[in-house]
This record gives sequence, structure tokens and C-alpha cells, in this order.
Amino acid sequence: MKINLNGEIVFASTGGRNFELKGKPIWFIHGSGQSHLSFMLQGRFFANRGWSVIAADMPSHGLSSGIPLDTIEAMSDWHIALMDSLGVEKVQIVGHSQGGLIGLDLAHRYADRVSRLSLVATALSIPVNDNLIDMAKNKEPVAIKAMMDWGHGSEGHSHDHTMPGQNHLNYGVQMMTANKSGALHADLQACVDYVNGPSAAAMITCPTQLILGQKDKMTPLKFGLKSAEALKTVNVTIVENAGHMLPSEHPEEVNRALRPFFTKS
Amino acid sequence: MTGDYKFNTLSLHAGFTPDERHGSAAVPIHQTTSYVFKDTEHAAALYNLEVGGHLYSRISNPTVAVLEQRVAALDGGIGAVATSSGMAALFVTVLALCSAGDHIVSSSQMYGANINLFQHTLSRYGIETTFVAPNDPDAFAAAIQTNTKMVFGEVIGNPGLDIMDITVIGKIANDAGVPLVIDATFNTPYLLKPLQNGANIVIHSLTKWMGGHGIALGGIVVDGGNFDWGQNKRFPTLTESHFGFQGVNLYEEFGPAAFITRVRTEGMYNVGPCLSPTNAFHLIQGIETLGLRMERHMSNTKKMLDFLLQHEGISWVKHPTLPDHPDYDVAKRLMPKGAGSVIACGVKGGREAGQAFIENVKVASHLANVGDAKTLVIHPGSTTQSHLSPEAMKLAGLTDDMLRISVGLEDFEDLQADFEQALRSAAKI
Repeated sequence: MKINLNGEIVFASTGGRNFELKGKPIWFIHGSGQSHLSFMLQGRFFANRGWSVIAADMPSHGLSSGIPLDTIEAMSDWHIALMDSLGVEKVQIVGHSQGGLIGLDLAHRYADRVSRLSLVATALSIPVNDNLIDMAKNKEPVAIKAMMDWGHGSEGHSHDHTMPGQNHLNYGVQMMTANKSGALHADLQACVDYVNGPSAAAMITCPTQLILGQKDKMTPLKFGLKSAEALKTVNVTIVENAGHMLPSEHPEEVNRALRPFFTKS
Repeated sequence: MTGDYKFNTLSLHAGFTPDERHGSAAVPIHQTTSYVFKDTEHAAALYNLEVGGHLYSRISNPTVAVLEQRVAALDGGIGAVATSSGMAALFVTVLALCSAGDHIVSSSQMYGANINLFQHTLSRYGIETTFVAPNDPDAFAAAIQTNTKMVFGEVIGNPGLDIMDITVIGKIANDAGVPLVIDATFNTPYLLKPLQNGANIVIHSLTKWMGGHGIALGGIVVDGGNFDWGQNKRFPTLTESHFGFQGVNLYEEFGPAAFITRVRTEGMYNVGPCLSPTNAFHLIQGIETLGLRMERHMSNTKKMLDFLLQHEGISWVKHPTLPDHPDYDVAKRLMPKGAGSVIACGVKGGREAGQAFIENVKVASHLANVGDAKTLVIHPGSTTQSHLSPEAMKLAGLTDDMLRISVGLEDFEDLQADFEQALRSAAKI
């Protein structure tokens, strides 16, 4: 659905079902240079099982207009504004990669708006290689290809797919290319600049969950596990042989881990 | 294309993961119509496209999916749907984009069945086509209308061998808000990847060079995912509620995969031109050696051209790698490894001499196919294009004395000897 937020168009996928506010919606937050499409299979899964689902494209991403937001805090504020515009009081967050940093910040600074926090393929901080930052600024197509190459695990690189006939790597490239130019660089720089992850984690009181890829090259498993220590999370799922693009490469494992974590009330 | 593997590695491995239980190294033939659901929730999830898997082999099949994923990887596409033939691939592409009242701009120099489909079949359903010369970009630009839904052509026209400059025509089409759909059968991704050179959708007849063995029919549609279907209101089949899928807007829900999702959920579901798993298996075996075969096709084609050009029994020779070909420069730029293994030529003595040549070849086979590992010859005017009117023949750039040679992989010395004796027989007419 399309929402007018402060004069800009926001597109939010509702999992293929009409949005009807029931309980606390599952609020998907995409990663750097991604869009609502990273959660296509999760959104459909939960919407078809009676949850309210929102997977919004942040400004300059996917089908949303506007200029890219340049800090994790600004992104959190934007999500709160979107919740307000939809009349949503409290959400259950799924944040992937950079979306996990936004989730941490939301659960810390807006603790009364977040009832549960699921962090997928993320860490308390996401340092980004200087070369990648530079490529994102000056050679965006090269950066996109590099990210899709590093981000995918064995499924992507074997060109195998759970959805018959589809291709993870090339789909990822086209999904990222569809964003407005500059969105990826702003996202990556925001990840680099965000240093409040450890302090935010220490203050979070809502139930948290981590879903990590065993072979994640972008947010390696050891950093994800450190997040678990800081968050005192006992609910940790490690998906074997999975890379960073867990939601698309291992949708069934991710959905299986997410489902018991969320409530419908 | 993103990816760490090169062409021959992808040809051998892409799209297949041996299953843990059996570990079959070769792609298994899943000769089944249907698939046992784990439970009712699993069945519902498959219908809702929220988990991957297979429902019914008309829509998808594990063996066919390996083929689809392999060709998508080779072409640099985001996804593919395999069909029972190349013609079926073209039809489901049109079906996904066009409705009654819509319009197609197409190259005039194509395989006869493509022309027939556009000119005679689709027109009965209210879809009109304007045909233009493939090497006249301005004509493409002028022919695009507000209701045009696709620009279509063959990179290497069959059988006239004119080259369509897909980089230039792709830009013209995309600037007008229309996708470029390319039949890449004659080039295969070994010689040219159209999706990286201006095209948005590629179709192949897999029956030809991709399979290479001449034992299995098949086609495929590959989606580049590089066309913004939502940029205008031109594509309601993709950007408005899809009747067959809970009213979902495919563009919003599947993004770059909107088109290929429509092909599967409408073309395969409602029409059903599915590829058999056994044919998919055969085609996969062929694709495993595509790179090696294409190298040999190119080297034998070069030798055949040298032979024909110096032969006194041949009146003319046409191939895009010859400097006197009108599209020589375009062919060299688009396809530096070679411009296909089909040669057009005329035998001195006209139609009768040409027929005598065909009836006397022994190593080469006289049949209606191209791209086989074996060398094939045919007289298009009396066979593949015989249903075309004299005007359509002229528009397609065909002459009555024309022979089409699809150069195979035989030892060239044997081919040369065979052609030599057949040309001697033709000279006696």
C-alpha cells in the first residue's frame, strides 16, 4: 500500500493481503540498499496466517520517494512517524542487517513502541570496508554486485533457489539497482556511523531473538553471537550453511524461527 | 552478471544441488505429475507462493527448474520459465504483456512461425504487429505507439542472417517505456548475453544449439528483471490486481520478478505449455557442453565460409562475419566470438541446382532444424518459409535460390568432401 508521509510516498508491502490493524503488527525493516522485497516470503507467510504485516521501503528505496536518510537514528524516527501515520501503537520488529541496527535503536529509544525484537543476520555494529563505501559512492553498480556476491551463501552461488526457476544473485542485483542512486551509500555510511549498538543493547528490555547465518561473510556469526551476550538473548537460531541473505535464501528456516517468537495479541 | 563462476562452470553446475538423501551427481529426472504435500498448511503455503516448491508439473517441476535456473544463470537473468518449445516461450511472453487492443513492434526478418504468430494468430485476438527491418533503428522508433507492449526481434535473423543492433534498439524501446524482447536462439549466451546489451527479456528455442543434440524440443523465457514495469500505466497485467493470484499486484509484491511470475502463474497455469522432465534432462545434458560445442561451431563455420567463398559452384555467400555483410560492424561489436553457425548461400543454377545439392549431401542432413551437433541443410523457400507470401518473402530478405546451412561439429575435412561432391552433382543440373 502507498502512504503519504510528510509529502513523500511510502510504499509498504502488507504481505499480499489488505492491511488490517490487528494486535501488534510484524514490522519488517530492510537492510542497506535493500527494500521490502527482501522479506517477500516472510511477509506473505505471516500475512496469510492472520498477522498484520508491514514491510516498508525507506525513502529512496524500492517504491518509496524521498531522499535517503543518513543516520540510523533518523531511520528509527522515520519508522516511528510511519507507525504514527498508520495508527500503530506497538510493533514486533524483524530487522535484517542494517535493519537490525534500526531495530536496536527503536527498541532502546522507543521502548514503549516495540514489544518484540527479532534480529536477522546482524550485529551490534556493522563496520563497512572503506573500499565498499567508496564503490557505493562512485561505482554503485560494482558495489551492488560485490554485496550480492558476498551476501549470498551456497544457494545463491550455486544458482539454486527454493522458488523454481529463480536466481538469487541476479534478482538481488536488480532489486538493489531499482533503488534511487545514492541510497546504498547513505545506508552504508549510516551503519559505519552508528556506534550506540552496545549501549542500546544493554538497555533493551523487550524479548529479543537472533537468527544468524553460519557462513555469513557480511555480519559474521561471531559478532552476532556477541550481540546475543549483550542482549542476554537466549533465543538464538543459527542457520547452517547460510550466508547474509538469510530471508531469501533460507525462508523456511527463518519463518520457522520467527513464528513461535511472535504473538498475535 | 554477478557470480563467481564462469560460463563453462555454470553450464555444468548452475541450478543444481545434489540432494542429501541420494546424492545423485546427475540431475535426476523427476518424472511425476504431482508432489505430496507435507500437510494442509504446506499445501496452502505453496499455493500462496510463500514457500518454494512444486505443486503440479504443468506449473513447475524439479528437473525443469534446474534447467530454468541454469539458463537464467548463463543469461544473467533473475529467473526463467521453460516451455515445451521456443514458440510456446514466445507465446507465453506475449500473453503476459499483451491484451486485445495492444500492439507489438517486430523485426520483419524472423523465423516464419514467429511472423505467422504475430501476423495471423495474434491479430485474430486483437493484438496487431508492425513489422520493420531489423537493421533500421529509426523504423523501430517510428513504429512504437502508445499501446505498444513489446519490441521484438532475433539478434541473428532466421534465415536471412541480418543482425539487430539490440543495444541501440533496446535504448529506443526503453526510452519509449517499452521492453525489448529478444529471441536469442541463434546466438546462445555463449556468443552474446542480450540482457547485458539492451534487452529486457530473452527467449530461446532450447531445441537448437542449447540442447545441440536434436533429440528434445524445449523453449525458455528468461527475465532480465531490468525493466521498470511501474514507470507508466502501460502494463496493467503486471501493475494491477492479478486475477489468478489473490488479486496481488505482481509489480509491488515481486518487484523485478513481476513478469516471470506472471508467465508462470498465467502462462503455465492457465495455458500449460510445459516442458517434460525427460526433455529437460536431455536439454541439461546438452547445455553441459554448450561452450565447447559453440567453440567448435564457430571454428567449423569459419572453415566452411572459406570453402564456400572460393568455390566456383557457389554464386553468393552471406554471413555476418563477412566484411561485405551489411551488419558486419554490428555483428563484430555484439558477438566478437562469432555470429552464429548458420550460413546462407546460393548455388549456381538457381532453385533446381540447390535442390540437387541438398539431395546429394551424405554427411549433412536435410531437415527442418538448426543448431544440431550435426551439419544440416535446407532450402527455406520450399520448406520453413514456404507459407510466406512473395511479399513476405521479400520483406524477410529471402531469395528463391537460397540455401541455409547449419554448420555442425564434424571433422571439417569430411564436410568439405561431402559438400564438394554435392556441388559437383548440382553443377550437372
